Amino acid sequence: MSELIKKTIRCPNCKHVFTITGLPGEIKKVVCPNCYTIGKIVFEKSKDIAISVSHLTKIYGDLIAVDDISFEVKRGEVFAFLGPNGAGKTTTVEMIESIRKPTKGLIKIFGKDISKSFSEIKERIGVLPQEFKSFERLTVRETLEYFSSLFNKHIEISKSLKEMNLEGEKDKLYKDLSGGLKQRVGVAIALVNDPDIIFLDEPTTGLDPKARREVWDVISNLKRQGKTIFLTTHYMEEAEYLADHVAIIHKGKIIAEGTVDELIQRYGKGNTLHINGNPKVYEFLKEKGFNVEISRNNGVTMHILRYSDILEVLSLLKDNNIEYDSIDIRCPNLEEVFLTLTGAKLLEGTI
Amino acid sequence: MNPRFIFYDVYANLKQWFRNRSSVFWSLLFPILLILLFGSIFSGSNDITYTIAIQDLDDSTYSHLLIDILENISIIDIKNVDKNENITSYMLDNDLPAAIVIPNGFGEDLNDIILNPISTTNLSFYYDPARGDTVDVIKTVLQSTLYEINMQLTGGRKIIGLNEKIAAGENLSYIDFFLPGMIGFTIMTSSIYGSIERNTKYRKNGILRKLLTTPVNKTEWLLAKMLFMLFLSFLSTIIILIVGWIVFNLHVHLDIFTVILVISTSFLFSGIGMIISRFVKEEETADMAGGAITFPMMFLAGTFFPLEIMPEFLQMFAKILPLYYVNEGFRNAMIYMDIDKTLYFTGFVVLFAIIFFIIGAILINWREE
Repeated sequence: MSELIKKTIRCPNCKHVFTITGLPGEIKKVVCPNCYTIGKIVFEKSKDIAISVSHLTKIYGDLIAVDDISFEVKRGEVFAFLGPNGAGKTTTVEMIESIRKPTKGLIKIFGKDISKSFSEIKERIGVLPQEFKSFERLTVRETLEYFSSLFNKHIEISKSLKEMNLEGEKDKLYKDLSGGLKQRVGVAIALVNDPDIIFLDEPTTGLDPKARREVWDVISNLKRQGKTIFLTTHYMEEAEYLADHVAIIHKGKIIAEGTVDELIQRYGKGNTLHINGNPKVYEFLKEKGFNVEISRNNGVTMHILRYSDILEVLSLLKDNNIEYDSIDIRCPNLEEVFLTLTGAKLLEGTI
Repeated sequence: MNPRFIFYDVYANLKQWFRNRSSVFWSLLFPILLILLFGSIFSGSNDITYTIAIQDLDDSTYSHLLIDILENISIIDIKNVDKNENITSYMLDNDLPAAIVIPNGFGEDLNDIILNPISTTNLSFYYDPARGDTVDVIKTVLQSTLYEINMQLTGGRKIIGLNEKIAAGENLSYIDFFLPGMIGFTIMTSSIYGSIERNTKYRKNGILRKLLTTPVNKTEWLLAKMLFMLFLSFLSTIIILIVGWIVFNLHVHLDIFTVILVISTSFLFSGIGMIISRFVKEEETADMAGGAITFPMMFLAGTFFPLEIMPEFLQMFAKILPLYYVNEGFRNAMIYMDIDKTLYFTGFVVLFAIIFFIIGAILINWREE
């Protein structure tokens, strides 16, 4: 008989949190007991779930670092745990990696409670800790040999060097590598045991855009290989580019969860039109009844619901001989989602 | 147990250590420099004058003449010793490297030999083998002086020679005292700082967090690290002994106690390093804490100077320092060869090693709070 799955749900409408149970594979109609909003919930078959976290809590004295969070990571997906510095991302991922002990809650990897079976799970996971630096005076090849000696199962070093595009650097000392290459070696270390789940904690923090793009390419390649990737990041563009599923964490709580599109649709304010270069535009559009705001460089910003609104605004300006320097249309992103949910910008949202 | 990991860990540590010039310097070259520096200063090999004792048992015209000649040598300072003194005791009491005894009948023998030059008369030359460099200089000066006298008296044939005798007793030089202390000091610093580096830098760099997520356990990690530390400790001990032998002609007694002391000292100070890094987590601060422990211990535990020259309260304080027991253990095992004292001090070092290493291994925690 299949085991009943318990899910914690946060109503997208009224934010009320409640639990519901169902069988693996079941699609259930759900009614919010608070506002009666109707929705659907899919109970994934347990074999599809790589990581399951329920009611995870971490308390340090008076500080609740992680506050009763629950989520699931499906096999083969890139799960991005997005939030500002200090939101509880690393504390959460380190509890899943068994580096920190939770105050409360249950963590399962491949259906096994990690508090009981972590030693057997270790062979199946690969971890790149936050701000990881390897042994300075070992070459790249020696570093990979060292870390592969930790596992019973490990891939060939030459294969790893080739896959990570590190063949040219194999005889260089780790300390002599650039930041991007060091992170690539870090990812290669996380992969030496050919893991099923890879945890990458802030893998691109401190890297320049080119190096960041290189790491993204590596992660995209792993995704293509069907690996499950748990990525923590405070870069919204990283989550947008890589993630199949995003959980946004703020002050220890998950405040939104879903695919990037779902989150933008749910919490984004739609596209915005920016007209730059003439302060008269603001007065004119305001007079005509448009909901506009002043932005930088004598610019005007307005939210648009339909693309026909853009044509209407531009025609009005043209017909009334009101000139401007430039226009641009911006699509909503996770930054806007975060702003909507918390009132703070993601990169400024350090707690 | 994962022997593959242990092998790779020891191998990786060795490679990193050899590639790190400052590690090699502080672990090997620095102790050698200290030995050469302190050895040169305090062994007297740089003295402008060398003091030797002369005991004239003959009290003849020839013996007086010989003493006059020796007194005129600028780099030799003569201390005349009474006929009734025991010459080796006098050397010991006055910390002299060499002595000459002019035998009774020296004048008469010399008279006979000058008239009938077929035999030789010998002066007794007592020396302290532990002060090889100084003795070599004195012996060379004496031999060239005697050669001159022989030339004057017989035109070159040797009629006055030196009969060499090793001075009995424990007349040990500074280097005998210093070198075992240097072994203890070197093992102490490399073990404490090695342990601090492993447990603070590796924690900061995420290596310990990474290891927690792999199948390797703390016992395997500690075993691998201690194998490396033991290799380093034995390597520095051997190099210090070789330098002592080549430069200062030092001969030490090596037995199982020396081996036990090297092993125990490595475990003892690795344990102290682990305890420090448990409480002081920042690498730089932990290094300073390591210095705060090793520096006073280095000066107060009788590494460079005997405890006897220190005030009594400092002597009492020294006896609570683990390095004191290490230094005395090495000295008694290698130099004094006093089995009772060796057992006593080695016993304390082994006991300290067990206590500190177990406490350190329990306290050190890979897991984050």
